[in-house]
Amino acid sequence: MKIVVAIKQVPERDAPVRIAASGRWIDEDGLQFAMNEPDAYALEHAMALRQKHGGEVVVLSAGPERAAATLRDALAKGADRAIHVLTDKDECDALGVARLLAAAIQPEQPDMVLCGLQSEDHGYGQTGVLLAELLGLPHVSLVLEIEVRDGSVRVKRELEEGWMQMIELPLPAVLAVQSGGVPLSYATLMGIKRARTKELRTVAAADLIAQTGIDLTPEVTLESIALPRKTRSTVLLDGTPREAAAALVEKLRNEAHAL
Amino acid sequence: MMNLLPTLAEPSRLTFAGQALFATLAAASLLLFCLRLGTVAGRILASKKDPGFHIFPLGPRLKDFVVEVLFQAKVIRERPLVGLAHAFVFWAFCAFALVTLNHCAAAFGLAFLDPRGGSGRFYFLTAAAFAIACAVSIAGLFVRRFFVRPAWLGEHPSRESGLIALLIFVLMATYLAGFFVVAESRSATLLWWAHTAALLIFLPLIPRTKHLHLLLSPVSVFLSRGGFGRIPPLAGDEDFGLVTGRDLTRIASLQAYSCVECGRCMEHCPAANTGKLLNPKSLILGLRDYLSECGPQSEEPLLGRFNTQKAVFECTTCGACEFQCPAGIEHLPIVAGLRRGAVNTGAWQDERGTRLFLALERGGNPLGSSPAERDRFIEKERLPLFDGSQEYCLWLGCMGSYDPRGRAIAASLARVMDALGTSYGVLRKERCTGDAARRLGNDLLFQQLAEANLETMAQNKVKKLISICPHCVRTIQEDWKEFGAPPAIEHHSEFLARHLPQLALDQSQEKIVYHDPCYLGRYREVYDQPRAVVAGVGQLVEPPRNREHGFCCGAGGGLAFLAEESGQRIGHVRAQELAATGAATVAAACPFCNSMIGDALKSMGQGAPALLDIAELAARSLPGQGTPERTG
Repeated sequence: MKIVVAIKQVPERDAPVRIAASGRWIDEDGLQFAMNEPDAYALEHAMALRQKHGGEVVVLSAGPERAAATLRDALAKGADRAIHVLTDKDECDALGVARLLAAAIQPEQPDMVLCGLQSEDHGYGQTGVLLAELLGLPHVSLVLEIEVRDGSVRVKRELEEGWMQMIELPLPAVLAVQSGGVPLSYATLMGIKRARTKELRTVAAADLIAQTGIDLTPEVTLESIALPRKTRSTVLLDGTPREAAAALVEKLRNEAHAL
Repeated sequence: MMNLLPTLAEPSRLTFAGQALFATLAAASLLLFCLRLGTVAGRILASKKDPGFHIFPLGPRLKDFVVEVLFQAKVIRERPLVGLAHAFVFWAFCAFALVTLNHCAAAFGLAFLDPRGGSGRFYFLTAAAFAIACAVSIAGLFVRRFFVRPAWLGEHPSRESGLIALLIFVLMATYLAGFFVVAESRSATLLWWAHTAALLIFLPLIPRTKHLHLLLSPVSVFLSRGGFGRIPPLAGDEDFGLVTGRDLTRIASLQAYSCVECGRCMEHCPAANTGKLLNPKSLILGLRDYLSECGPQSEEPLLGRFNTQKAVFECTTCGACEFQCPAGIEHLPIVAGLRRGAVNTGAWQDERGTRLFLALERGGNPLGSSPAERDRFIEKERLPLFDGSQEYCLWLGCMGSYDPRGRAIAASLARVMDALGTSYGVLRKERCTGDAARRLGNDLLFQQLAEANLETMAQNKVKKLISICPHCVRTIQEDWKEFGAPPAIEHHSEFLARHLPQLALDQSQEKIVYHDPCYLGRYREVYDQPRAVVAGVGQLVEPPRNREHGFCCGAGGGLAFLAEESGQRIGHVRAQELAATGAATVAAACPFCNSMIGDALKSMGQGAPALLDIAELAARSLPGQGTPERTG
């Protein structure tokens, strides 16, 4: 079984982000980058499937030069080879990224394409869906469990309020993975050393455009971004534990709508 | 006076038949001895070479050899009566070297020592004195092993060690009896043969029993890697730690065969004492069994049939075993090596362990906290930022940055430094030193953390660090060396003790019991400085297990971040012991000890002693703080 996992490189969590001078994106100077966490889960799923059914896990990322480091991390975690679609620094929208990824995936003819549900930076949650459409493949998102049975795949996806849905669909398919379905693994010295001999192929985005004639003109553009405003709304509930608990339930129900 | 003493009677020459018999038996015994020893030596030499091992300088090696082997200092210091008994047996063996050579030479009329006069007579009488001491000692040790039998000697004493004890006794008795028979008599010849028989049976038994330590542990002591708990570097692209027999180094194999099974490691091990699977003696014997059954080139995993992964990950790396071992075994590099083998290859799958590694990979601290929280703490405490102009760079460490107790300790130290007028600053950004990653065997993560921190040190031109955490101190000073030159670092106890005269702390009558952190005590040999601080603010009380014998809190070796312990909790056992001293306050000198013992004391409820770090004790006793209140 050949599985392609689409991975995005995003700023490290808890990185001290500043808005760039343009006001449209963050200033990337001095930032550390890491693998988008939902994509890390997608990779774990892919490796678990390979363990069970054999085959190959190919990781794929569209991004600037720095994205190669994240692909190397994926190789160290156990992917067999990597494809880096090298873009210049200008961000394209989710459709543009999906077009690049689809162009790179097409010649691979995979049995399954996995990606994270959404990215930790933009958070569009669109790439997987668009990718499926562009590849003409069936698609399920919010996937927690994947089970392959000859020629088809049965997935468990998470709905709201704790509901789960089981769906069976034919292969090949595109699955967008929700965080948490499988345990993440840590990077190992052996993985890093083995990764050195694995293939990391770089394809220039411009070449893909020239070959396939895809259009990267953004359909969606970011006008401005802002840091979340901090508000202090901590309330200490007085009274006996019974009264405080009653007040808490009332607030959770009527103000937070959490119950 | 020497003339009043009896004279040793030995046959001056055997008959030809006797000579032939002796020669045959001696050759057989010697051959068997050599074959058996050769098998063991072959396994040791077939193991791979130790990376980073240097025989020079010889000075410290010779010193260890003289003190630990010749003077038996460690054996005697840790168990005086039993140790002395052992030492007498050892010294008698040394004294008997010439006696035995002469004994064998006498069979062919080639004796070179004359029992009747001169130096020969003096030598035989001296050996006799040793023989008496040895006979009494071995009888005492026999009684202890077979009738008293402490738990760490195992439930079933080996029959072989009983036989060996008997043979040693016979050797001594037959030698001594030789002083009371007539020279050239039939009895003298019979004694000679009895002595010879004991000797020839004893010889081939040595290489296949724990008495192999007679030959190997002196070599182990001499060839030690040096430095307490030092983790050797990995060598080459295919070295991931101790995975299979191929990874066992010569020193590790030598040490495995040097074990004398005395159980001192087990007697002091916090895991073995609280009902866990880990037992340092079984760990070493497991390696020995592996080598004997599979050999040093085997592909069979080291963790499996002979030792378990579970046991290896129960070690707190407190180092009590390595400190105690009289045979020169270095347990810590072996535990670290087995963990490296399991973690570097990804074989170790532990939910909390993985969470810890991921938190360190992504956030740079083991607690999974956001670095922004550290910034807020620095801001709230108004800690100055290090800019290169201050004398000290105050290394907060993860506990000092994120843990409430650790923060209180760091803030207290800052107050004391303010009071002294010592300039200091904290770094804008710190990453974990990699202590937990290092001790758990994650070399990749440790290297990343050490390198990132070394770069921060260089960028900020840090020359001198001070830290509240003995784990940070150890890791920065010793472990980072593998990747660069770390700045000088000291633990706050050393700083506080040095400045006690200037601090003029208020002393109260409060009884304060001091708990030795393993990484400050056994690892750094800092025992007196924290005690000086405690004695400066109250009345110092010692727990039963103190200084080199300090009992772990259970946090070391990355265990603070792993799953619940099985059996009794180590920290609770230690807290009970500290509380039982009747002290009003427990003084600690490590944020991890503070955390573990603090939890245990809380679970004791009312009447449990208070817990403070020595930095907090110093800060609350600064002049002008009023009388320190009892916080029991």
